Formats: sequence, structure tokens, C-alpha cells
Amino acid sequence: MTTPVLTASQLRRERYALRARRTRDFLRRFARRREGMIGIVILAFFVVLAIAPDLFVGPLQSAVTASGGRLEPPGLAHPLGTDEIGRDILNLTVHGARISMIIGLLATLVTVLLGVVIGVFSGFIGGWTDTLLMRLTDFFLVLPTFVLALVMTPIIRDALGGGGEILGVRISLLVIVVAIGITSWASTARIIRSQTLSIRERAFIDRARVIGAGPGRMMRTHILPNVTNLIVANAVLCFAGAVLTETALSYLGLGDPFQPSWGQILNAADQAGAPGLGAWWYLVPPGASIVLVVLAFTLVGGALDDLLNPRRTGRR
Amino acid sequence: MPKQADPDAPLLVVEDLRTYFRLEGAVVRAVDGVSFRLEDGESLGIVGESGCGKTTAALSLIRLLPANAWVAGGSVRLYGIDLLAKTEEAIRRYRWREISLVFQGAMNALNPVQRIEDQVAEPISERLGAERDRALERAGDLLELVGIPRARGRTYPHQLSGGMRQRAMIAMSLACDPAIVIGDEPTTALDVMVQAQILTLLERLRRELGLSLILITHDLSVVAETCDRVLVMYAGRVAEEGPVPRVFTAPRHPYTRLLLGAFPDIASGRRTLEIIPGSPPDLRTPPPGCRFAPRCPGVMAVCREVVPPEVRFDDGVRVACHLHPPGSPASVPAPAGEVASPGPAAPPADDGAPTAGADG
Amino acid sequence: MGSRYLLRKLAQAILTIAMILLVNFLLFRAMPGSPERILLGRNPRVTAEALAQTRERWGLDKPLIPDQLVAYVEATLQGDLGYSFVYRGKPVSEVLADRVGPTLLLFGLGELIAIFAGLAIGAYSGWRRGGLVDYVGNGISLILYSMPYFLIGMALLVIFATGLGWFPTYGMTTPGAHYSGLLDQAADILGHLALPLATVAIGLIGQYSILMRASVIETLSDDYIVTARAKGLREDRILWRHALPNALLPAVTLVAVNLGYVIAGAITAEKVFNWPGLGTLTVEALEARDFPVLQGVFLLLSISVVLANLAADLVYGVLDPRVRT
Repeated sequence: MTTPVLTASQLRRERYALRARRTRDFLRRFARRREGMIGIVILAFFVVLAIAPDLFVGPLQSAVTASGGRLEPPGLAHPLGTDEIGRDILNLTVHGARISMIIGLLATLVTVLLGVVIGVFSGFIGGWTDTLLMRLTDFFLVLPTFVLALVMTPIIRDALGGGGEILGVRISLLVIVVAIGITSWASTARIIRSQTLSIRERAFIDRARVIGAGPGRMMRTHILPNVTNLIVANAVLCFAGAVLTETALSYLGLGDPFQPSWGQILNAADQAGAPGLGAWWYLVPPGASIVLVVLAFTLVGGALDDLLNPRRTGRR
Repeated sequence: MPKQADPDAPLLVVEDLRTYFRLEGAVVRAVDGVSFRLEDGESLGIVGESGCGKTTAALSLIRLLPANAWVAGGSVRLYGIDLLAKTEEAIRRYRWREISLVFQGAMNALNPVQRIEDQVAEPISERLGAERDRALERAGDLLELVGIPRARGRTYPHQLSGGMRQRAMIAMSLACDPAIVIGDEPTTALDVMVQAQILTLLERLRRELGLSLILITHDLSVVAETCDRVLVMYAGRVAEEGPVPRVFTAPRHPYTRLLLGAFPDIASGRRTLEIIPGSPPDLRTPPPGCRFAPRCPGVMAVCREVVPPEVRFDDGVRVACHLHPPGSPASVPAPAGEVASPGPAAPPADDGAPTAGADG
Repeated sequence: MGSRYLLRKLAQAILTIAMILLVNFLLFRAMPGSPERILLGRNPRVTAEALAQTRERWGLDKPLIPDQLVAYVEATLQGDLGYSFVYRGKPVSEVLADRVGPTLLLFGLGELIAIFAGLAIGAYSGWRRGGLVDYVGNGISLILYSMPYFLIGMALLVIFATGLGWFPTYGMTTPGAHYSGLLDQAADILGHLALPLATVAIGLIGQYSILMRASVIETLSDDYIVTARAKGLREDRILWRHALPNALLPAVTLVAVNLGYVIAGAITAEKVFNWPGLGTLTVEALEARDFPVLQGVFLLLSISVVLANLAADLVYGVLDPRVRT
């Protein structure tokens, strides 16, 4: 009769050590990829700005607290110039970082949550549920979801009524979060489902079933940990998409002038006639920020995807 | 025969071939000193575990290597012509016309959006300059030769079974009348019945067309059935090489012995299959000395430090193992670089003295 | 092409359009808030009479499903998309018809240019991987990919219109212009078209070249490419006869999948230049809460995407023999 080689606590310690080693190894391999690192640096910069904008530029300027004249080009007092009601562009842009990033984050959370739940459920249960959910997913993939979000937002806003905030974010912006989340989950669901299908085929699932594990438990403890890699890489890319979508929606007029995101700043610029007047300083800071953040997410997401989901290893 | 060929030279002489890969900053010594010879009409089987370098060695002959690989040393002489000295453009002319390939898993090795007959005819029109009609006609002949009805040539690869696709690949490989056909695991992806058919086909073609064959496989039974000689590779080096009957009945290298023991043999009366414990070495940092030492049941102290020299025996077998050091009974001293090979074309038996032509 | 494939794709398209109609219906009808508000607007001057008329016309007295739904579907299929608030009761279908032309012009030309240029650049990039051209090109494409279309548009406007004055800034035609002939009018339109077209084309090229490059790189690691090399074929033959035909397949699929996202770009790009197409219509309707028009736009754009996807499927069927048989 063989006796167990390791005690339970020893096993646990082994597992932690293994995980720590794997994480360190992973971080080292990530650091080796130049594009990923550039992305991380850019993101870190904007995240720091987004966390505490007041620290860097003071509170968000309003029409009352505007500090300069109208549409002043960059100068000593205002390094990035002012807008049409005299607010400092630097101030607006830094605060815009917070709004854009928060909306992006929340929208990504909703998207990934929906996508993972639907994907895992559909892939695991199979059968008619799967077919039905996949029809729905395919539909959402074909649909121009941007237009759907576009028309959904004013309808929901009107239905909810006036302003107000939840945890510091205005309701009107939360509606955008919901609209983006509801319309963007489909590609995530697709990816997660196909991974779930391949995991389901593996032996240990059958073994778990034989022991009598229920579907909920199996999905949680077996499938979920194995799709985490996929989720992480996908979520980062979703973030980039969410920022772009929110920017576009705000530019088209669905932003909130009281909590202006970068897209909303550009909308205001457009309405003030900035492009026609050559007021480039109004356009470049929010515009460049958008490009940098989206680029950073794309780079990091790509590097993560390469690292976590290797598809083609070299030939023999 | 190619223009620059030396009619007296042996068909193929490979000496001390080295092919390395660059992987994530490290150098993988995938093929590290492999030598062998192929005579006209011979069939040589190259066997070994996955990753032992057999495919890389074969692809190195025509330099069909990925971008991160390069031939680091050695020589490959086809009819006396040193292929490794040729430029990239020059070696292209030898591909398919002198040495062609049959890949494993012909599903992906055939262009999915091109008709079978077009793919077989392509080298005929592109490399031999034939007119399209003539090329298609010849392609049809080749298809019939391998047992595919000419009319099926109009189909696409996905419409054929695995066995048919492999036949089509064989037909394609014969398009330019090559001197050597390299089969890279040509039967691995097929079921046993089809496998037997393909092997029979290859054997028939070899006899009828006078082909020389290099068969790469990890399946010893295939080698036993169809090859004249066998080359056993391990971790980028040659472990043992010689006529199939000799090597299979009296293996000298411990690895060969274990390999033979790992294969089911209905006649042998053995009840269990031997496994070879451990796994092949990391070729970025191969062990000094014999590469098989970590797993060898007969390992000695010298094995871990000194690379075993190749020793030739008078029954035509070559071994690189310290269990058979130079000077063993019946061994014949081989000066560095020479390779002995009594092939079926039966040149006079080698007595060990280097002959002028053998080194090319 | 296999008729089974064709029929299957057609059936899928019809099913999807049916679902779009359903979503459209639910979106505007089943939302909280009185549907009358959506159909009539928050216009305080609406008489009780008009209210009753609308009720009757749209069957608002009857249950949502199936009666209202059926009435809605019937009306839509006959081309009745309701009446615009902003345009004083003009039928939505007419409003849309007025604006479709400029959008087709801008977008159609943009797609045409982008498909050829983008796929070509991407293919070259993927083929000659690692060179300076590839690196620089990839970098530029990546930046463009991260740039919302309207940003590209604004940049072009500020530099070339406002700054250098080479092109006019807004609109499709010069307001109040008198044309000496068709050619003169065409020239004016072209001048106004240049920057918006450049915007759409640049954005799309950024996307398509990245797609094609990735597809070519993926294809180059396929086994039949090794076979082609082993055959000793010339490099350009391997590229044109083996790599590209296969690389086009996923590229076509990806182009189709991306169509939905491209629409976002097109709408916003129109706004920058005040190009009088469906995009600016959407913006105006959004501001004025002109729901019937929004509903109509959603319907039109969605169905267009479905039809475009169908076209892409048909093209794919021509290119890939594996789906035909």
C-alpha cells in the first residue's frame, strides 16, 4: 500500500511556489517583448493621470472657473491653450483621461462578463442552448453594433430621466457603458466558447463527471481557470475597442459636457468650429491621447495574446 | 543527370552535416555531424524519435530550411557536386529535378485551392518548360502510374481521401524524374491498410523507375519492410547505420536495441514493450560526450565526457558508441570522413582503405 | 458555385434581416416610455386628434405582439418607415433617399480604393516581412488603426483645408455656387470630396493592410508553401499562385466582419466635413431626438451590412473550392 508522498499543506506550498515561478517566468518573457513594454509604459502614464487628475492639474474647470481667454493658442499660462469658453485644455485633457478610462474599464467589464458567461455556458451545455446562443451571437456579430448603441443610448437616457451620479460617474455616461457592453460581447463569446469546447473534450472533464461533479462546479473549477489566459488577452483588446466606441459616441453628441471624455472634448471643439478656425491645440491633446491609449492597449493585448495563446510554434 | 555531374561519383555523399537553428536567442544544434551515403537505386531509412533531427537533415540536402535555420558545416555531394556551396538561386535548380519530396499529412502539403492535376503539372511546365497541354497530359500519366484515375485530376485536394492525396503527392514528386525522392513520414497519417498500399507503391516505383529513396520515419516496421539500409539518429547525431537485416537482428548501439524493443513484434514472443526512460536532451545545451549517455542502460564514465567515434564493422554497419570502441573485433578502422556502404548495386566489398572516389 | 451554399447563405441573410426587423421593432416600441412619444416626439403642440390618428395608424391600442408587430412588419415591407419629426412629416424613406447618394459616393469610392490599396500593401508587407518598409508600414498602419476616423478627418482638415487652403472645408458643394455645366459641378463636388474620401480611404487602408499582412504571414507558414519551395518554383509564382489565393480567403472574411465597425467610422467622418450623407443625418436626428429617422437609419444600415456580408460570402464561394462542393 503506497502512502501519500506529500502532505496537504506541502502540496499547497508546492502549488504556490510553482505559480510564483510561472508568474516570474511569464513577466520576464513579457518584458522581453519591446512592443508590449512600450504599451505598458504608455498605459501606466495615463492610468496615473486618470487616478488622480486633481493632483496634477487641479479640479475640472467649468465655465465659471475658466482661467483664460477664448481659444488662446498655447502659451506660458496655458501650455495647451484654451477652449471657446476659456478653459485650460491641459486641465480638460487630464480630466478627460479619467472619464475615458473609467468608461472604457466599466464597458469592458460588462462586455467580458457577458461574453464569458454566454461563451462558457453555451460551449459547455451544448445542444439546443448552444445553437440558440450561437445564432444570437452571430446576429450580434453581423449587426452594426455601433449604430445599435447609438440609437439605444438616447432611448434609455430618456427613459431614465434626468441627471444624477452613481459613485461619481454621471448616469448618462453609465448608459453609454451599458450600451457598449450590451452590443460588444459577441466576439468575446465566440472566442471563449470555442476554447470551452476544446477544454470540454479533454479527459479530466470526463473524470470530474464520473466523480459526480455538477455542471456549475465543473464550469467554475475546470473550465474557467483554463480560459483565463484567453480572457485576459481578449479583455485588453476589448478595452481598446471600448475606448474607441465611447469616443465615437461622444463625438457624435452622446457625451456629457459635465464629465467630458476625450470624445466629448472633440465634439465641443467641432461645435466651436475649431477645425475650420485652425485651433489645432484644441484637437491635438485629446486626439493624441486617444491614439496613444488605444495603441498601447493594442500593443499590450497583442503581446499578451502571443505569450498566453501560442498558436504556431516553429516547425520541427 | 545534372550537367555538372561526375558520372563516376556516387549518387549522394553527406559528410559531417551540421544544421543549427536560432530559437529565442539560443542556438539549437539540431543536426550535429551526420554523415551517410546513398547509392543508385538504394533505399535508405532514417529513423529516430521526434526531434532527433532526421527531417532537418533531409531538408538540409536541398536547403529547405525555415528562416531561423542554417547549414553550419559539412558537405552534401550529389554526383560529386557540392550542393552546400551553391547559392540560393543555384540550389533552386536542383530542387525537384534531382531531389524531390513527399511530405507527411498531404492534406496541408497540397494547395487547397488548386486542382490536383495542376499541382502535378506545375513542376513540369515551370521547371521543364513544357507546354501546358503537354504538362497536363504527363500529369495524367503520373496519376495513372500511382493508381489515381486520370479524370480525378480535376478535383481538389479536399475531395480525395488521405491515401489518394498521398498518392497524388507521390505522383507530383516524380514529375521531373528526380534521382532521389525523400519521403518525410509519408505514411504516418494513414491507417495501416492504406499505409501498406502506399509502401507497396513506393517499392514498385523504385523498381520500375530506378529511383533512390530516403525514407524518414519513426516507424521501424516501415523501414524493415521497404529499406535496404537504415540510419538511426539520436539527438542530431548518427547512432548506428547499416544494412537493415544486420541492424535489425544484431543491433550494436544501445539506443537501437531499445528502439527495437519498443516496437511490437508478433513473432518475438515478447510479452511487454520496453520503454526508454527519460527524454531527448535539450539541443541548445547538449551533453558533452555521447548524447545518449543520460538515458543509456550501458553508460560508462567515458560516455559522459568523450564523443564516441564512429566505428565501421565488416558486415557494413557503422556505430558511434563507446561499447564498440575502435579496435573492437571485426571492426574496421575508418579514417575520419569516410563512410562505408555496401549497397545493393554491390560495388566490391570495402576493405577499409579509403578509395579515391568515395570522398567525392 | 454550389447552389446549396448559395441558398444557405441567402436563407441566413433573410433570417438575419427578419431578426433586425424584430430588434428594430422592440427597440422603439418595447422601451419604457410611451411609444407615442417616440412616434410623435415631445412636441407639445400635438393635438389630441393627431395623437388618436397615430394610435390608430400604428395600432397602439392593440397588443404588442402579434398585432403591432405584424402591422409594423407590413408597413416596413411596403416602404413605410414613418414620418420625420424634424422634416415636418416628410416620410422617413424620402429623407433617407435624399441622403443615401452622397454616402454611397463617399463610401463606395473609399472602399474601392481601400480594398485594392490596403490588400496590396498588406500582402507586400507580409511577403517581405522584416524589411524597413514592413516595419515602417506596420507602424503607420498600427497608429492609423488606433485612430478614430474623425480624428484622421480633423487632422486632414486642419492641415490641408484650413492650413494650406488646398481644399474646401465643409459640405459637398460650395454654397450658392452657379455652375457653368455638369463638368463644373462635378469638379466642385470632387474638390469637396477629396478630404472626406482621403479620410475614409486612409482609415480603411490602415485596417485592411493589417488584416492582409497577418493573413499572408499566416499563409506563409502553411505546408503547401514549403511544397511550392521544394518544387523549386520562382518566388513570384509562389506568391501569386500559392500564397495570395489562400491568403485572400481569411482576408475576405475579415473584411466582411469588419463592415460593422467601419460604419462607425463613416458616420463620424461625415460629421467632420459636414458631408450631407446618412452620417450627418444621424447626428442631426440624434440631437433632435427624431426617432423615426433614427429607426430608419438603423434599419437601412443594418440591412446594408447584411447584404454586404452576403456579397462577401458569394465572393468567398468563388475563391474557395472547399465550400462550394
